[in-house]
Amino acid sequence: MVTKEDIEHIAKLMRIDIENSDEYFERVKKILGYFDILDKANIEGEEVPVQQVAIDELRDDKYVAFEDPLIQQLKNYRDSYVRAPKMN
Amino acid sequence: MSLGISAIEYINGIKNGTITAEEFVAKTIEHIKKVEPKLHAFISLNDNALEQARAIDKKVKAGQNVGAFYGMPISIKDNICIKGGKTTCASRMLENYTAPYDATVVSKLNAQDAVIIGKTNLDEFAMGVATEFSAFGPSKNPWDTEYVPGGSSGGSAVSVAGLESILSLGSDTGGSVRNPASFCSIVGLKPTYGLVSRYGLVSYANSIEQIGPMGRRVEDVALLLNHIAGKDPHDPTTIDNKNQDYLSGIDSGISGKKIGIIKEMSSGSGLDSTVASVFKNSISAFEKLGAKIEEVSLDMVEYTVATYYVLTTAEAGSNLSRYDNLRYGYDLDSEGYEFKSYISKARRNFGPEVTRRMILGGFVPSAGFAGKYLLKALKVKSKLKKQIEAAFSKCDFLISPTVPVLPFKFGEKIDDPLAMYLADINTVTANLTGVPAISVPYEVKNGLPVGIQIHANLLQEKQLLQAAYALQNTTKLPEVPL
Repeated sequence: MVTKEDIEHIAKLMRIDIENSDEYFERVKKILGYFDILDKANIEGEEVPVQQVAIDELRDDKYVAFEDPLIQQLKNYRDSYVRAPKMN
Repeated sequence: MSLGISAIEYINGIKNGTITAEEFVAKTIEHIKKVEPKLHAFISLNDNALEQARAIDKKVKAGQNVGAFYGMPISIKDNICIKGGKTTCASRMLENYTAPYDATVVSKLNAQDAVIIGKTNLDEFAMGVATEFSAFGPSKNPWDTEYVPGGSSGGSAVSVAGLESILSLGSDTGGSVRNPASFCSIVGLKPTYGLVSRYGLVSYANSIEQIGPMGRRVEDVALLLNHIAGKDPHDPTTIDNKNQDYLSGIDSGISGKKIGIIKEMSSGSGLDSTVASVFKNSISAFEKLGAKIEEVSLDMVEYTVATYYVLTTAEAGSNLSRYDNLRYGYDLDSEGYEFKSYISKARRNFGPEVTRRMILGGFVPSAGFAGKYLLKALKVKSKLKKQIEAAFSKCDFLISPTVPVLPFKFGEKIDDPLAMYLADINTVTANLTGVPAISVPYEVKNGLPVGIQIHANLLQEKQLLQAAYALQNTTKLPEVPL
């Protein structure tokens, strides 16, 4: 059984800080409750799918510069540094 | 000159000189100004559209090479990047984000002389079925503005149904092209996973989503697919389709083809009786076209909504973690915050559905719960894939209603996320298995549209479009009441 504490713990790890938390938790709990339907699925013998790609299908291992000015999107960017809040 | 002409009619009109791109685009812009206050299909409009149309007319007049779209107005969902323009994903988080590059589909449309008329509304980060989760307000269904247009590509569907563009590009993670196509009485295709490049599409659940063409006619959707499909070095999941022409031979018919009715999507208590009766009519039409009909069972379908939401929230939780307000975000000075509280505060800018899915997405793959949710969902996905492969060894096409319910009114499901999720039951299978599926508008009952969904096997878009075209020609739809 999923508890409110379980959900609160995950929200904290996801760095989500919400107002009206009770409403969120009730709805998330209801959705997780619905996911229990998966317990009824007959999936015996099924494997978790993995994707395989042959090495010769991969692109050449060469450096290609990204020319577009993505870096300009950074708001607090100066002298090749990004300013962020201090860590604690 | 009617704005309701098909893409093919538009191209013929330009070629034989009865219309010019400038005239058509000008008339479209005038119409947009008139209906937008009511419909709200767009988040932003292209200020240079008229100028671009004029330049294309000049090329036509001078007898120069002109791209396949001849200045046709096409709208683009606002989670697809256009260089130098806003790409908001209908989120406060990206309200001021300017894309530094073009999505591959956008480069391809520009190279073929399309005029991108504007960016269309969606549920925030493409999460929803009604556009009610757009941070900028919902789009309205042009058939009845008290009803939702479907989602998440609701703005795209409204722009096409409301004659504000001839074609549109949406994205489909669990039905987001097909659901609004059905609700707005237009055609929407979710291509085979990998057929269309996702480079420049903002990721929600990248292992299953595709960009998809939308239009008023099946042949228009085929034309658009012709120019967006194929291998792209920027997206390693793309497939080389050998420049297949999806338009030629679209009228080949489906005589002798085998069609399976997916039992789990076409019966049961969740199916609206009006939708059921329209679906029955479409089956009779398929029979008259010479197809052989049988029932097919995919018993994993019962678990697909749970599977879909487990897998997509897990991917969304990871994909959306980049919105930390350092690289993307809005003006929130970092002064006075410590690192964690700063990011938490920034993420308050996500709307309720995105927040919910991030919490779920953190939960389902977490230690202690992954075995119960994520791994089971992955196994259901494997089994579903085998079941659909088996079905396609017997049938050419699999059909169902696109959405089991009629368009609903605003506010009806917004407080019940689970009821909203269940509207996806018929569309998520194509995403989970990678196969292509199309929604074809079939009837408008008491003013509300109903669409029919056809699936084909992997990379069988050509056959799929032939079947959709054949079905389209068995029905006559009323004109949208604008």
